[in-house]
Amino acid sequence: MVRNPKEIVTEGISEFGNGRERIMQILTKVNSELSYVPSEAIEAIAEATNVSAAEVYSVVSFYSFFSSKPRGRNIVRLCSTISCAMAGQGDILRSLIDEFGIEPFETTGDGRLTLETTPCIGLCDQAPAMLVNGEPHVKLTPEKACEIVRGLE
Amino acid sequence: MEKKVLLAENQPEFGAGLEKALNMTPADVVYEVRDSGMKGRGGAGFPTGVKWNLAGAASSDVKYVICNADEGEPGTFKDRLLIEKYSERLIEGMAMGGYAIGGSCGIIYLRAEYPYLIPVLERARQNFLDRGLLGKNIRGSGFDFDIEIRPGAGAYVCGEETSLIESLEGKRGEPRNKPPYPVNSGYLDKPTIVNNVETFCAVPHIILNGSEWYTDLGVGDCTGTKLFSVSGDVERPGVYELPMGAPLKDLLELAGAEDIQAVQVGGASGATVPASGINRTLSFKDLPPGGSVIVFDSTINMVDVLENFMDFFVHESCGQCTPCREGNLRLMHAAQDIINGDLCCKACMAPYFELAEAMKISSKCGLGQTSANCFVDIVNNFVELSDECHCGEYRCEGGDE
Amino acid sequence: MHSVTVNINGKECNAREGSTILMACKELGIDVPTLCYHPDLSIAGNCRVCVVEVEGWKTLVPACVTPITPNMVVRTDSTKVRKTRKLLVELILANHHNNCPECERNGNCELQDLAERYNIRFNRFQTDEKPESSVQVSSAIMRDNSKCIMCTRCVRTCEELQSVAVIKSVGRSSEIHIGTFDDKGLGDVACTQCGQCINHCPTGALYEKDETVPVWAALEDPEKIVIVQTAPAVRVGLEEALGLPIDHHTGKMAAALRRLGFNRVLDTDFSADLTIIEEGHELLFRLKDALVEKKEVPLPMITSCSPGWIKFIEHKHNDLLDNLSTCKSPQQMFGAIAKTYLCDKEGFDPAKIVSVSVMPCTAKKFEKDRPEMNDSGFKDVDYVITTRELARMIKEAGIDFDHLPVEKFDRFMGDSTGAAVIFGATGGVMEAALRTAYEIATGEEIPFKGLNVLPVRGFKGIKEASVLLPDEMAEGWEFLAGVTLKVAVAHGLANADKLLKAVKAGEAEYHFIEIMACPGGCLGGGGQPIPTDMEKRMERMRAIYAEDESLPLRKSHENPEIQLLYAEYLKEPLGHKSHHLLHTKYTKRDRF
Ligand SMILES: Cc1cc2nc3c(=O)[nH]c(=O)nc-3n(C[C@H](O)[C@H](O)[C@H](O)COP(=O)(O)O)c2cc1C
Ligand code: SF4
Ligand code: SF4
Ligand code: SF4
Ligand code: SF4
Ligand code: FES
Repeated sequence: MVRNPKEIVTEGISEFGNGRERIMQILTKVNSELSYVPSEAIEAIAEATNVSAAEVYSVVSFYSFFSSKPRGRNIVRLCSTISCAMAGQGDILRSLIDEFGIEPFETTGDGRLTLETTPCIGLCDQAPAMLVNGEPHVKLTPEKACEIVRGLE
Repeated sequence: MEKKVLLAENQPEFGAGLEKALNMTPADVVYEVRDSGMKGRGGAGFPTGVKWNLAGAASSDVKYVICNADEGEPGTFKDRLLIEKYSERLIEGMAMGGYAIGGSCGIIYLRAEYPYLIPVLERARQNFLDRGLLGKNIRGSGFDFDIEIRPGAGAYVCGEETSLIESLEGKRGEPRNKPPYPVNSGYLDKPTIVNNVETFCAVPHIILNGSEWYTDLGVGDCTGTKLFSVSGDVERPGVYELPMGAPLKDLLELAGAEDIQAVQVGGASGATVPASGINRTLSFKDLPPGGSVIVFDSTINMVDVLENFMDFFVHESCGQCTPCREGNLRLMHAAQDIINGDLCCKACMAPYFELAEAMKISSKCGLGQTSANCFVDIVNNFVELSDECHCGEYRCEGGDE
Repeated sequence: MHSVTVNINGKECNAREGSTILMACKELGIDVPTLCYHPDLSIAGNCRVCVVEVEGWKTLVPACVTPITPNMVVRTDSTKVRKTRKLLVELILANHHNNCPECERNGNCELQDLAERYNIRFNRFQTDEKPESSVQVSSAIMRDNSKCIMCTRCVRTCEELQSVAVIKSVGRSSEIHIGTFDDKGLGDVACTQCGQCINHCPTGALYEKDETVPVWAALEDPEKIVIVQTAPAVRVGLEEALGLPIDHHTGKMAAALRRLGFNRVLDTDFSADLTIIEEGHELLFRLKDALVEKKEVPLPMITSCSPGWIKFIEHKHNDLLDNLSTCKSPQQMFGAIAKTYLCDKEGFDPAKIVSVSVMPCTAKKFEKDRPEMNDSGFKDVDYVITTRELARMIKEAGIDFDHLPVEKFDRFMGDSTGAAVIFGATGGVMEAALRTAYEIATGEEIPFKGLNVLPVRGFKGIKEASVLLPDEMAEGWEFLAGVTLKVAVAHGLANADKLLKAVKAGEAEYHFIEIMACPGGCLGGGGQPIPTDMEKRMERMRAIYAEDESLPLRKSHENPEIQLLYAEYLKEPLGHKSHHLLHTKYTKRDRF
């Protein structure tokens, strides 16, 4: 069941409070539950924390992990910074693109998967690495990466 | 060769440093840290004791102790390891910071890329609460302290301390103008100390063993030990602890670097050292050791590395100030032009060196002030520029004066 | 702040400790260039063109941010500084749609000035295409982000001066731009169309929607009768906009309008007087309902002449809409009367009238398009142009403004009083209303020296005054005897917001409140000459009060043409006809 964005915001407010300094926490909650931050949530957060909707939207737009556009149920973030690049990230990206038919920052038609590239995720000692819904996967090969992504709900 | 403190097999009990500190005056804790000569481990290298002294002297009923766990510098992962293995040490160090400056609110700003560390930190906090080392009136000292874990959302610049504070306040992570400095007016305009994970982790050791012991760990006037995240073309990538001031060579040996074309010290914003420079030392005087060391072997095209770095900065600049927003983009295009052979002579390159200098001296924060380092280093050491112009570009004409 | 010794460009001088290097340089007559700095706004420190060299610093420092400390050694003119600034301007221009000849701000642009000052003849960083124009349209405000330099002056204006906060930086790094919630158009969010962002923009990224083209066309059309009204604040801004020495000559403005070909040159000041009659009575009747009839009447009553303010309250405080005076703004009263009464008097066919309004304001462009503004049976006002647009028309027509004769407005809607002139300044409507209402209720002149109600004048954000009514009242108004009339005035929507919050919280009780959307009132309006800053606002305000003092009639009810209008047409204030033509209602709008 996908919950109503407003409901998530209300829950976030009771969890964290309604000070403006709580905005990042509330946004993180909405963003991780829905994979993005819909306009209704932005309005509800603005209302509750007493800032303008433009302000909250502006905050959302600043951070790479937030999106104001719908994304897939699963978000794969493949590191593209140098240590991973040297360890073969390019091949992995190409096989993910080939197998799932989407370019980075696109979502599959069935809404199952969004593919993203991301700067260094701090797993350079086990490069190449990616985060799948926040979970780290390391020492990837193209086969291994595709297998992990294939297995997502 | 590896002198271990933070990563030592035999560690003092978590909490022992805090207990000792509570029996000292806050001022004595500050002085001990100051006398240790420790400089912040987050990259900028500001003396921790001096920072704490300033925050301690600021008068306010509320003060904040913030741990910068936004570790975003490419190639850095030492803070991840510290949190994975020593999160109680971190919390202990933060509590000691709180005691030292007279603040009872601790916040850990954890980068969004490390969500799996949240439960680890929560568990450590609970342990400390259970043991009476966090909460109200800790060990009957009258000192209250607790911590909260707050998430980032994917922005390298939020590692810059004022940007981090903005982010904590629910805003865009745009660095602030200074003054005021956080020690006087930081989070919610209250006096605030922001320190790196490693900095806080070192404090309990300093208090338990004394500042002199810590000073002796380093080489010369570089005190203490330092963690290095090593990756790239090495046999054994990972986190190593070495005395501050150690030669780069020692670290490369430990990690098993055989074929060395260049070493990136201090992450993308650090220095690109050609193989000839491996005798240089890891110290604030020579190669500022941000914590990231990336080794490139001879198969790597260093201009590709440059493009990767510039792409990183173009992606991560907050975009508020002119030199960084526009400059990184121009430098990335220049890197691409070099790769394509469209930029190959000294005259055409000259404006970009001037741009790099302007970014360094006129950008608002450390990001823009350092992002051109790799451009200058890589072009100087790894790109051959001709005296005569073959680029066929209009850039060679005109120019400044 | 005490004075300390500093060394700037090799010279020892004194500066105030704690003031910024920029302020200190300004006081010493040293010109430091700026782009993101504006004296009305907080410091952003993002353009970096103000960087200077300070001994002991590895980097340059921004002069607009950095405070003076004792014995500081500063260089504002070193080669390093000059080269850096030049390079920064090149960087900005390399990512800027620089087509100066076709730009709104050609000749009055802070970026163009810097390009000139730093001798940018060749841009070393112009490597790829310039951005294309991307104009976003709303009813009054145009935005072209290809001209935007991300100084955030508009953002700070909207937030700090207006507390509207509908525009913000969106995205980051090279994707950054000024946007709104969901990047909607300004017309689809809670923008008040006040135009303050235009006045504070250093470049041509923001400007008003041009309406000179249809006005020129109407003037050319022999079938049309083109009438024009000019708001009080236009006459103290026009010469500035024309780049002429300022002697505030209303008569020359009338002459210029006639030279442009307007068939009737009339005055919004006339309808300002009319507003006072209606609004003054409305206030008195609300007080009567409250005090005598003991009815639940919405008090305080709040003025309604500022359309930016109206849109603001409709979005942000729409629980207070009943507190608004139902009076239309002077512009719209003028429009409704012109297409009815004036046509009767002059024998014009209202269908042939093109009613043009010259305003210091951009929100008036929005206001004239409100669907309810057609009580004359036609669109009450057809076109609204700003002071700046009028200046452009005068230039384009080749009118030598300086040497024009002094002429008068045309009859029936051209007379005005000092009370109308001061509408252009914050507090002016209040003062004018008090002059009239007091006299209606007491039969006596308001007991302020020279009719000057000083407590409601000046630039304080929120001003308060109280007027004790005497024991002897005029017939019908005895219930007001001994009552202390409490009033407040706010200008700039941030102050308005503060005042309304205080009223809602019960922290302040007033009978009557005047609110103007723009800082300083209309004289600082979004359609006024650029730059508009405190210095300019003060100068325009002085001119307004000087004009008031110089006029023979200074109370709205003494305006002979107003008296004629009531005698022949409206019959009585708040009467049937008034109700139909001069009063309006308001709309609830979305908060964001
Ligand atoms: C762009 C940028 C990124 C930074 N990232 C980090 C970071 O990830 N972690 C960190 O501790 N310090 C980072 N810093 C340094 C902080 O601004 C600050 O100096 C540091 O957190 C202070 O702690 P320390 O004194 O313990 O090092 C960064 C600085 C800049 C300019
Ligand atoms: S230097 Fe870059 S990251 Fe820092 S404030 Fe300027 S634009 Fe933002
Ligand atoms: S904004 Fe200024 S510099 Fe840019 S095109 Fe217009 S006049 Fe020229
Ligand atoms: S017109 Fe006024 S309300 Fe609208 S964006 Fe500009 S300053 Fe804000
Ligand atoms: S629109 Fe104008 S005021 Fe706003 S940021 Fe752009 S240049 Fe600055
Ligand atoms: S005017 Fe100082 S940084 Fe823009």
